[in-house]
Amino acid sequence: MTSMDEEALVHRIARGDRAAFDELYRRTSPWLAVRLRRRCADDELVAEVMQETYLAIWRAAASFSGASVGGSAVGWVWTIAARRLVDALRRRAREGRLPLATLAAPDAPAAEDEALEALLGAELDSAVRLLSPDLRAVLQAMVLDGLTVRETAVLLGVPEGTVKTRARRARIALRRALS
Amino acid sequence: MNDEKHVPAAALRRYATGDPRSRADQVWAVEAHLELCARCRERLGEAVTFHSPETAALVAQVQTRLATEVIRSPQMPTYRMPRRVSRWAPPGFWARLVMTLLVLGAAIGLDLAGSSGLPPSVVLLVAPVAPLLGVAAVWSAGLDPLHELVVASPRAGLFLVLRRTLAVLAAVIPALAVAGWMTGASPATWLLPCLAFTAGALALGELIGLRWAAAALAIMWTVGVITPSVLTARAPWVLEPTSLPYWAGLIGVIAVALALRRDAYKELRSDSWFVR
Repeated sequence: MTSMDEEALVHRIARGDRAAFDELYRRTSPWLAVRLRRRCADDELVAEVMQETYLAIWRAAASFSGASVGGSAVGWVWTIAARRLVDALRRRAREGRLPLATLAAPDAPAAEDEALEALLGAELDSAVRLLSPDLRAVLQAMVLDGLTVRETAVLLGVPEGTVKTRARRARIALRRALS
Repeated sequence: MNDEKHVPAAALRRYATGDPRSRADQVWAVEAHLELCARCRERLGEAVTFHSPETAALVAQVQTRLATEVIRSPQMPTYRMPRRVSRWAPPGFWARLVMTLLVLGAAIGLDLAGSSGLPPSVVLLVAPVAPLLGVAAVWSAGLDPLHELVVASPRAGLFLVLRRTLAVLAAVIPALAVAGWMTGASPATWLLPCLAFTAGALALGELIGLRWAAAALAIMWTVGVITPSVLTARAPWVLEPTSLPYWAGLIGVIAVALALRRDAYKELRSDSWFVR
């Protein structure tokens, strides 16, 4: 079980394997919790989203089409979680209970950075750094989290038109920085 | 992957604790890497355990809640009809196909076993109405839980009905051909009546609903042709080769009638007797 990759685990979950489910939870839940908490400061909401996500994985594991179509199991987990998060935020907004503001990463200087440039690539690294926080948040939601314009608007709490404008401005700025 | 391509421990710790001092581009790099790297996810788990008790508590809390929820929630079935087949086949297709094959098997058995008392081939007698069991399911609210959605879809109507009928025929006619080959009933004698009954059911279905139409035609054929032929032990004249031109003409007339009232299959009928 411990030597299997996440795709194999999902396939076993599809056959009703509880041990595989527990193993997948053990491997991915800290990562998912940290990632969700960075997008939503309300821990209660994050717990709710995580529970829904793993339940959806348990129920719908058979619908995971697998690495054969170019999707990784971890990416699939995140896609479900991101959608659930947006749904939960939407629900909150409808009930009139607005969630706490999402954590934005401010521009404070940090210590050891050099090693990270190997991961993102030096040009992209500096290009991202040049973007204003607003543009970066939009780009993060749409590129890194794979959300649509409408979902991004819910996640960031701004109108759809603003998301589109910011995405356009971010694209132009990135192109200029990379050329 | 070598070591310098992994996330440094300090950056991972800052990411895990949600340290606001970490810069956006670093967070991006870490998140993009974590999605691809199982080892760094493992290391992040350790970082969470040691440096972020809130996250660790949250993970444990969700795990306890999940343990009870998972037992109660059913899983979706692993096996599903291949998409291409399910796009063509009518709902409840397999059960009806098996039933049709059983009827054909029984007819073959009668033909092969009791050739003394039954001169007309039972397979030949059954063949014209054989597809009706499947055809009845082609357009029915009672059998199709998604019927209202299907009716509302852009492709609803005669096109979809014909497509599903084609799927039924594609399964039933080869079976009939095999049965005919085993008992000596030539396809030339039953193919046209078979098509005429299928088209007739569709046309009549526009008036009284497909399941009623199929049932009515099958009962008519059983009472009017099968029973007398079995009782008198003579082949019915309607299945003689001389009557084939009439069958062809009938198909033509039915096709026109079908086309004239084709919009009947686009309506969502509220009278329950019609769609049941």
